[in-house]
Amino acid sequence: MAEGRRPGLQREGLRFFGAVGAGLSHELSNVFNIINELSGLQQDIAAAAQGGGAGIARLSELAARIKSQVARGEEINRSLHRLSHSVDEAAEVFDLGEALALFGALAARPARLAEVELELRPPADPIALSGDPFALQLALHACLKAVLGAVGSGRRVEVRTESASGRVRVVLASADPVPGLGSDPVLASMLGLACAVLGAAARTEPDGHGGGSVVLDLGAGGGTGTGDP
Amino acid sequence: MEHLRLLFVDDEEELVSAVVERLELRGIDAVGVTSGDEALHRLREERFDVVVIDVRMPGIGGIDVLRTVNRRHPEVKVILMTGHGSAEDSEIGRRLGAIAYLQKPVDLEDLLTTIDRATRSPKGDERDG
Repeated sequence: MAEGRRPGLQREGLRFFGAVGAGLSHELSNVFNIINELSGLQQDIAAAAQGGGAGIARLSELAARIKSQVARGEEINRSLHRLSHSVDEAAEVFDLGEALALFGALAARPARLAEVELELRPPADPIALSGDPFALQLALHACLKAVLGAVGSGRRVEVRTESASGRVRVVLASADPVPGLGSDPVLASMLGLACAVLGAAARTEPDGHGGGSVVLDLGAGGGTGTGDP
Repeated sequence: MEHLRLLFVDDEEELVSAVVERLELRGIDAVGVTSGDEALHRLREERFDVVVIDVRMPGIGGIDVLRTVNRRHPEVKVILMTGHGSAEDSEIGRRLGAIAYLQKPVDLEDLLTTIDRATRSPKGDERDG
C-alpha cells in the first residue's frame, strides 16, 4: 500500500463518509421515531385497557414490534461501527465477502431512495484482499452512484464477484446502459482516487442486450493494491 | 376534531401504522400510506382535510405532493415533517403554503395542536415551523 497516496483520499473520503454517515443517522432516527410512536401507542392501549384483558395481547404484539425495531437499529449501528473502523488501517488483509456485506448495508438506503432493488451476490468462498478497506468502500460507493444515476426506478442492480485467471472483479450490473464514468466529474474524481490507492481499475461495459455494468477490477491475485500501482 | 379526515404519509410503514392508530384512538379518522404516489391516488379518490407528509421519501416527496395539492386540492391543509430538516426545504414549504414544518420525532400532542390550529384557520393563515 502506498501510504503516501492516502492523503489524496481525504477530501473525497470525507465526502463519502459524510454522505453515508448522514444516511445511516437518518435511518437510526427513523428507528427511534418508530420506537417512540410504538411506546406511545403502548401507553395509549394500556390506558384504554385498564382492568380489561383485551389489551394484553395488543401490548404483547407491540412489545415484539419494538424489539424488532431495536434489532434494526442495532444492525444500522453495526454498519456505522464497521464503516468507522474501515479507516483504522491504510493497509490490511480483509475478506471481500465481508466488505461487500458492509457495502450492501450502506447501499441499502441510496438504493431505496432511488427505488432500485439491490441484489447482492457475495462470493461463495472467502477471498482475502490486501489493501485499504476504506478505499474499497469508497470505490464501490462511486460505482453504485454511477449505476443508480443510470437506471430507472423499479429496476434491479446485481452486485456480484467474478474471479478468473487470478483476477477478482466486482460487477454492478443493470438492465439499463451505464454511461461512461467520466460523465460526472465529482464521481470520477472519487473513483479515480480510490482506484489509485487500491491499484484497481473501473470501467463500464455493455452487456450486449441493452444493459450495462460498472466493473471494478481489483487486480491479480485478489489483491487490492499491495504495492505501488 | 371530530369528523376530521387526515392522510398520514411516511415511507416507514411501522411509523405510519402506529401514528394512525394513535390518531384514531383520539377520534381522528386517519388513513396511512407509505408513498407520495399512494397519497396522490388517495387524494384523487377521497376527501381529506389534512395531509401530514414526510418531505424526504423514495419517489415523490412531500414538497412535490404539496405542489400537487395546491393545484388540485387547494382546500386541503398540508403539514410537512422531516427527520433532518434543511432551512431551504422549510422555506420552500412555507412559500408553497404548508401549514407547518415539523421536525421528527413529532410529538403527537404537538401534531394534534398543529392540526387543530390548521383546521380552524384558512389555508395560508396559520404557519409555523
